[in-house]
Amino acid sequence: MSSTTDIADIVKIIGGDHVAVTSIARGNQDPHYVEILPSYMLKVRKADIYFMVGMELDLWAQQIIDGSRNRNVLVVDCSVEINKMEVPTAQIDASMGDIHRFGNPHYWLDPENGKLIARIVAQKLISHDSKNADQYQANLNQFVKDLDSAISIWTKRFSNLKDKDIIFYHNSWPYFSKRFGLKTVDFLEPKPMITPSPSKLNQVIQRIKSDGVEVIASESYFSDRAPKFIASKTKVKIVKLAQSVGAIKGADSYINLFETNLTILAKAYGVSYD
Amino acid sequence: MLKKLIGGILITTFTFGQTTANPQFSVIGDLVIDHLHKNTSLLSSGIEIAVQGYVNPFARADIYLHKHNDDSPIELEEAVMTIERGLPFGLGIRAGKFRPDIGKINQSHDHLFPYIEAPSGMTKILGEEFWSATGIETNVFLPLPWYSNFSLSYFDSGIGSHNHSDYEKDEDDHEHKDDHKDKDDHNYDDAEKHHGREKQANAFSVRWSHFFELNDVKHLELGLSGYSGQDEGILGADLKYKWRPNKYRSLIIQAEVLQHSLEDVYKEKAVHPDEKLTAGYAMVNFQFNKAYNFGAMVDYWSLELADDEGMNPSIFFGYSPVEESAILRLKIGQLEDEGHHKKHLKTTVQIIWSLGPHKPHRY
Repeated sequence: MSSTTDIADIVKIIGGDHVAVTSIARGNQDPHYVEILPSYMLKVRKADIYFMVGMELDLWAQQIIDGSRNRNVLVVDCSVEINKMEVPTAQIDASMGDIHRFGNPHYWLDPENGKLIARIVAQKLISHDSKNADQYQANLNQFVKDLDSAISIWTKRFSNLKDKDIIFYHNSWPYFSKRFGLKTVDFLEPKPMITPSPSKLNQVIQRIKSDGVEVIASESYFSDRAPKFIASKTKVKIVKLAQSVGAIKGADSYINLFETNLTILAKAYGVSYD
Repeated sequence: MLKKLIGGILITTFTFGQTTANPQFSVIGDLVIDHLHKNTSLLSSGIEIAVQGYVNPFARADIYLHKHNDDSPIELEEAVMTIERGLPFGLGIRAGKFRPDIGKINQSHDHLFPYIEAPSGMTKILGEEFWSATGIETNVFLPLPWYSNFSLSYFDSGIGSHNHSDYEKDEDDHEHKDDHKDKDDHNYDDAEKHHGREKQANAFSVRWSHFFELNDVKHLELGLSGYSGQDEGILGADLKYKWRPNKYRSLIIQAEVLQHSLEDVYKEKAVHPDEKLTAGYAMVNFQFNKAYNFGAMVDYWSLELADDEGMNPSIFFGYSPVEESAILRLKIGQLEDEGHHKKHLKTTVQIIWSLGPHKPHRY
């Protein structure tokens, strides 16, 4: 079992035919808020390993694991090896919105971090099922090779995205932006997970007009209403990106998630990417 | 004896299971204002304090305290240890003071109700603040293709010990003193009055619940419940359907019925020994925006032999501007004056705020 579809896809790749993996959150679902359904507990009850995102993104997972009454399930936090971004250095509280005290938890949106997740997955699968260790190791090696190759190609093909100003709906994209050189200039949410207010929308409109920001990108689970309102007042283009595997059409695997998102952005900016 | 045993378990567990990690502390505050008979009054105001955390890798403890905004002492709503991991055969155990697994609504704290106040029919059976008792519960997943959970509980006191003052409270509420019914020859009222009033020794409850994932966004939950206390019994059934395609839309349809029957030994206190009090409600709640929801509820009760019944329809509206940290609710409903069956319009406004991880979940 895994909390999200991204980790599930990596587990599927590393585990191959030797594992059956299911994700609790759907790809187009907000991973911050997942309802704890009794049926999830039944699924986790049959699991050998549960892969969590960690960093307090999937706090709901622990209740599902507890409720499953599965004595033997191994719970793995996939964030342990991640070089974490935006770790608060001062005291945080609810007045700041939904700030994660261990840093921004959307680390899987950097493909380099996908390799770290894959290594943890392989390590746990090998220790749990040592007789298929060679297969897991081979799958890991192949995945890392494929990802390295893809990152190299993306870096060249989408080099025109570098230093482009972008406004995101929610702060899910620091790892992605850093990897591909996008410059995040603002968010529609005035504070994390706080619905955009009229004054914030007005502020964003003024910024787009003054700075010439071309694109607003949002996660698939957010409403189009606020971005469309801004687009009606400016010339900004609005796009939806896949925050997880399965979130939008085309993002049907971990590697395709990046290919899809980068292609959407390149088209929105009108830059060449072949 | 049972209280001592459970107290001993909790103390032992806390003493020897201490860790350096602090438990989570949460506070939920609420303010309810109602308008009835041209009078606007502060119906209730207080806070719920929750202390929650893991005792050890296998058990967690949840403590809920409630303090009304008056001179009354702090009430212990729940203090329960839950063991969900480490037991064989998928068993789970709860021990301490907790809300028993009977019906759907009994385990819900007030701040979870989108319709603000508990259905009056259910409070006639479960008590004004619902049934909370000291005991032990064991539950198990049944080996079925869908989620099916069976729980069996034993308590050192029944529903009667919990809701001893409901009737008087109903009488005093909203200054209905001028409408007091004539009790001289209305024995059926006395039967109702005694439902669940006396101290009950040893009680058992059972619940069998099923949860079906119809698809990714549609879910159905069905439950059957039973209760047996000294000289009384309860049977119940409940249903909950939920559709939630995304975070901006959801629909909940929920209905529940409980039937409370008295047994022979209780004859001295009940005018009608075979009387049955049936209570139920049906509710529809639609979330049409990230922050807004509205719905309707019908609340019903009847005394079979007394040929007496009541029904209170209402509509409600909710607004939650910042996720689940603050909620504003409005309810407009009919309130039936018991005995005289006069119907009044009642408007209720509720403000809820939360601090910490124990939020007033809306859906």
